[in-house]
Amino acid sequence: MKKHHFSWSGLYLTIVFIILYAPIVYLVVYSFSAGTTMEKYHGFSLRHYADLFADTRMITIVFNTLIVALLAALIATIVGTLGALAIKETRGKVRNSLLSLNNVLMVSPDVIIGASFLIFFTMLGIRLGFVSVLLSHIAFCIPIVVLMVLPKLNELSPTLVDAAYDLGASRWQALSQVILPAITPGIGAGFFMVLTYSLDDFAVTFFVTGNGFSTLSVEIYSRARQGINLEINALSALMLLASLLLVGGYYLISKHGGRRHRVIAVKEGDAQ
Amino acid sequence: MTENIMEFRHVGKQYDDNVVLRDINFKIEAGKFYTLLGPSGSGKTTILRLIAGFDQPTSGEIYFAGQEINDVPANRRQVNTVFQDYALFPHMNVAENVAFGLQIKGVKKSEIKRRVDEALQLVQLAGYGAREITAMSGGQRQRVAIARAIVNEPQVLLLDEALSALDHKLRVQMQTELRQLQRKLGITFIFVTHDQEEALAMSDQIMIINDGKIQQSGTPVDIYDEPLNHFVADFIGESNIVPGIMKKDYLVAINGQDFKCVDAGMRPNERVEVVIRPEDLDITTVEQGQLVGTVDTQLFRGVDYQITVHDVRDHVWKINSIHKTTVGARVGISFDPEDIHVMRYNETEADFDARLDSYEEGE
Ligand SMILES: Nc1ncnc2c1ncn2[C@@H]1O[C@H](COP(=O)(O)OP(=O)(O)OP(=O)(O)O)[C@@H](O)[C@H]1O
Ligand SMILES: [Mg+2]
Repeated sequence: MKKHHFSWSGLYLTIVFIILYAPIVYLVVYSFSAGTTMEKYHGFSLRHYADLFADTRMITIVFNTLIVALLAALIATIVGTLGALAIKETRGKVRNSLLSLNNVLMVSPDVIIGASFLIFFTMLGIRLGFVSVLLSHIAFCIPIVVLMVLPKLNELSPTLVDAAYDLGASRWQALSQVILPAITPGIGAGFFMVLTYSLDDFAVTFFVTGNGFSTLSVEIYSRARQGINLEINALSALMLLASLLLVGGYYLISKHGGRRHRVIAVKEGDAQ
Repeated sequence: MTENIMEFRHVGKQYDDNVVLRDINFKIEAGKFYTLLGPSGSGKTTILRLIAGFDQPTSGEIYFAGQEINDVPANRRQVNTVFQDYALFPHMNVAENVAFGLQIKGVKKSEIKRRVDEALQLVQLAGYGAREITAMSGGQRQRVAIARAIVNEPQVLLLDEALSALDHKLRVQMQTELRQLQRKLGITFIFVTHDQEEALAMSDQIMIINDGKIQQSGTPVDIYDEPLNHFVADFIGESNIVPGIMKKDYLVAINGQDFKCVDAGMRPNERVEVVIRPEDLDITTVEQGQLVGTVDTQLFRGVDYQITVHDVRDHVWKINSIHKTTVGARVGISFDPEDIHVMRYNETEADFDARLDSYEEGE
């Protein structure tokens, strides 16, 4: 076995990770406890998971959350990618102002964004609920997509588009067959990124969600205020599992980035 | 005479206030190998971009096969480009890159396959079709870029410093390959480089460009033997350039000493510049030398010795000789009247040609 030397940096790193992950592990462990509180572990049981799956309100909310996240991520990815393409076309002052506007949205506190959406929707008379939540999620996701896609666009050699035109491509063909495939990894990364942002958003959603509609984070918050229920632990454990899968997916996409699965005319064995 | 496939008439280009090209005029004959040669920033790439249609000229007209094409977009020009940075599509493999142009034009699948294979064969990359671009070396990528362009059978192929990234050996090999390819396909090549040896080796015609202006154009031999001005003489090959006075036709004074030459058609006692190539100078004994000097340095270069000699007027002469000499020795330098080339200050290319014609006819 390789001999490990003691190092302060290694120790530091270990402690940091323990501190970061301890509460999560603690929470997950108690989701399997037979008891109803987190004061003492009462032995292994899946009763909280059973409770969770019997809780139709909770299941509906999980689906709501997923639908909002998927739709918001999808629409934001499309709009954000188009936005990044448009920003790329501008230069000088216009470009800088657009980027600054984009960054302001990124850094401004969720609470402010949530509050302003609330005011905005009430002013317009939009009923709070699914639509308002979806719209606000799309809105705060777009700047993130722009920020993920723009660097990929900047990486592309400017002559790449010239080369497409040179070979006879129209503007649309250059976009759809050269630029978009070349930045697909960035677009995919952006999609997964905003999917997670939307899934765990609390502050913005809290403001714009109405009476009949709720998402996971808001629901968990309101339940937690009424006292600890280990069903929440079970739910959290499942969500943790889901995020792990998401991270895994993100990793796979960025690792195998670039390689498309589209097959065009010439492939060995084709045309025979 | 062969037809002109392309022509620039008084073409100028500026970016905002920055004038990049001024009054560019040239004609391109079909089926020849042209080289644009000039130092970095002289406007070579800009000329290619105007030909390809990525940029529009600020003034003047560009003609292609007799038609003005100033406003024809790049994707409808019969021109293909091999870019300075290759610009291969990173998400496609080699065959897909090469097929791109044909696929856009809607050529039948089976024909695409045939032509792609043929093009890859031509650049000696047969069997590399399924490779990813990232798995290709610099030289191979360059050849993919060439295949991607020639597969479309353009009338004019533009190559922007397409060999600059290669090592010397591969570069020389690719020069020969390119030249053979051009002869085989009969396509007009416009090749950009800042390497004068490359230009001399490959071209039918060279256009020397500096500071956005064409300085001189002609065959490699013409330009080497009869450079128009100091810039061209200095840029093409090595040369000794010294001030002189044109006493009368066929007689020029250098360092106050008169020498016979083969140039004429200038005003008597006009101040001129005299060019003598280092390989035209020979080292002899002091008695036989037309100039006398002392050897300063000697450098063995494989094929010959590069020698510098300073004469009595302290002018330094560069000499390439296959014979060895001794540093510090007093030697004579000899040359023939034909080795001397006289250049007038500020002479235009048209005036130069006219003057040459005037006295060459008289002989
Ligand atoms: N898009 C542009 N905007 C402003 N100036 C430009 C632009 N493109 C080129 N130039 C300027 O035009 C001049 C000529 O550029 P060009 O690229 O044609 O040079 P080149 O001869 O190809 O040089 P190199 O050998 O380095 O490639 C340069 O001074 C450059 O700064
Ligand atoms: Mg260039």
